[in-house]
Amino acid sequence: MRGLLAFAALRGHAARTALAVLGVAVAAAMLLDMVMLSTGLRESFQHLLLSRGFQLRLAPRGTLPFDTEAMIPGATAILDTLRTLGDVTTVSPVLGAQLHVPRDGRVTTTFALGVNPAAQGDYELRSGRDPNDANELVANDEFLHAAGLQVGDTLEAATGYNPQLRTFAGQRRLTIVGRARFLYLSAGQPAVALPLRTLQAMTGHTRDDAVSLFMVRLRDGASVDAARDWIRAHVRTVDAISTADALAQVDDRLRYFRQLGYILGAVSLMVGFLLITTLMTVSVNERVGEIAVMRAIGVSRPHVVQQIVLESTVISSAGTACGLALGLATARYLNAILSQFPGLPAAIDFFPFQPRAIWTALALLASVGILAGVYPSWRAASRPIAGTLREEAVA
Amino acid sequence: MLLLLAFAVQVVMPQRTIAIDDRLAADAHLAVGDRAVVSAAPGAPGDTVLISAIVSRGADPSEIARGEYHVRLHLDQLETLTTYGDRVDRFDVATRDSTATRRALAAINDAAFGFRAYPSKDIAVETSATFKVVSRFHRAIGVITIVASAIFLLCILLLKVEERRRDVAALRLIGISRRSVFRAIVLEAALVALLGSALGVAIGWLTSAAVNGYYQAFYRTPLRFSIVTGDIVLFAVALSLALGVVAGALAALRLVRTPPLRLLGR
Repeated sequence: MRGLLAFAALRGHAARTALAVLGVAVAAAMLLDMVMLSTGLRESFQHLLLSRGFQLRLAPRGTLPFDTEAMIPGATAILDTLRTLGDVTTVSPVLGAQLHVPRDGRVTTTFALGVNPAAQGDYELRSGRDPNDANELVANDEFLHAAGLQVGDTLEAATGYNPQLRTFAGQRRLTIVGRARFLYLSAGQPAVALPLRTLQAMTGHTRDDAVSLFMVRLRDGASVDAARDWIRAHVRTVDAISTADALAQVDDRLRYFRQLGYILGAVSLMVGFLLITTLMTVSVNERVGEIAVMRAIGVSRPHVVQQIVLESTVISSAGTACGLALGLATARYLNAILSQFPGLPAAIDFFPFQPRAIWTALALLASVGILAGVYPSWRAASRPIAGTLREEAVA
Repeated sequence: MLLLLAFAVQVVMPQRTIAIDDRLAADAHLAVGDRAVVSAAPGAPGDTVLISAIVSRGADPSEIARGEYHVRLHLDQLETLTTYGDRVDRFDVATRDSTATRRALAAINDAAFGFRAYPSKDIAVETSATFKVVSRFHRAIGVITIVASAIFLLCILLLKVEERRRDVAALRLIGISRRSVFRAIVLEAALVALLGSALGVAIGWLTSAAVNGYYQAFYRTPLRFSIVTGDIVLFAVALSLALGVVAGALAALRLVRTPPLRLLGR
């Protein structure tokens, strides 16, 4: 009965109801997007960092991984030191450099990673095999496309290029043995990976045995914080950064987006609340006579309240259902914009699909829908019956 | 170019002077007159220098999320420290005016061998890529907000006009023309939209000041994050007014087309 009455009241003002549902839908879409934005970036980054199981990154002291051109000298000695820590299972040293590939009268410049193929955590092989031999490399599709090469081809590569003399330094002939996807690089960035020793020799870093970064994997159950503190105490030239530390850094640098998410989410919720409250207040004010008659013929106050709260819940539910679909669509669009951030890993998703975000948005909007209906309905049901009927009759 | 600084009290007299940025000065508790050792790598031998100036950071969008410190050294000292030799990353060239800039660009690029000259404006566009993305994101959010506001405004004004059913019926019954009633309602809606816009502009201006204050302090930069310009205010007021008038007109049209007795519920 309550449902029928509520449905009839909403259908009686179809245009108004449709507008309110549309308004709630836009507010719900915005709320969902902002809930996803405020939590998603962090989760996406954490997932990326832990995707290959490395819990610690060792960067040159005072820097973040690949944030500057700083290097860590004495990589072999550091590797030996790290292996004395019982909790360490894998250490992956990484050297970053620019590689120039002259071909057919033009030069393709790419980002190159020197890695230990057996322990690397920077790329996933798509086809072919790891560069196990000194003169082999794997490349991503962007590089292969830019240089017009394919797996099996041989190329001349150099790490130094003097634009004034147009001469190359650190040249070597390399064979492409695999196609790879690089996990931490930005979209569209050409990249290759080759054995660490080869890149060190090409860049002239053989003598100081320098690398840009170490990635460290610990055995299951080992304390990451304890290992980090041990490394900080025993390897003075590096900063040991745990996943939690990296996330804190990301939180700090991208705090703006989290705060924007909270603020716009709160504003969306407020807009939805105001819209439903205003609508229900006006709707109830128009029907005070009708409500007084219901009360006069014996309909209880809770019954009246329930009917009006049901109306507001129907509006917020319908709006939320439309809004969730709209929110997921706009999230893809907004993510496409933000993923163009320079230097941001392509795997980072600002608006990852998270069931928890949807449940949070749903719960918030359902609460708002109920709250928005309670006050006007209680006020209407509390009006004196006789006085209201007389006023309505005079009017 | 990264220089790692190892700060220590030195017994020897400093040979050269450097300038550091205010962020480094605050974090490392350094002041003009202090001595420091600068080296190209942690623990490597370096030069003892005297801090002769503390400089403010420029409003550079490309550095906004980077926590780097800035140190200014004499070019020859930096070349020696980094073993770069007689090499530089770039030359900055000052010109008299825009015509001279174009002439200089053409002359340099005609004669250049292995390098290229760019106008500073082009460099600024390239380095502000981060902010371009943020701007596009803000524009997209702005469009969603405008849609939500439009629906909200339409809804509120429709409800507000609907509330006047009896007043409109009375006006029509005493002989006021449809046209006059329509104009009165639209005028009322326009006034409400205008008042709301004025309030919105004031709130927007205050919010913008708060945003700038907070993020300038947080990122330690003089960069202005939010700017309320005349064009933006004009756009917001015009949009709000247009939406108000459209919403008022739609609601008024519906009311004046309904017979007065039906508006009274008879």
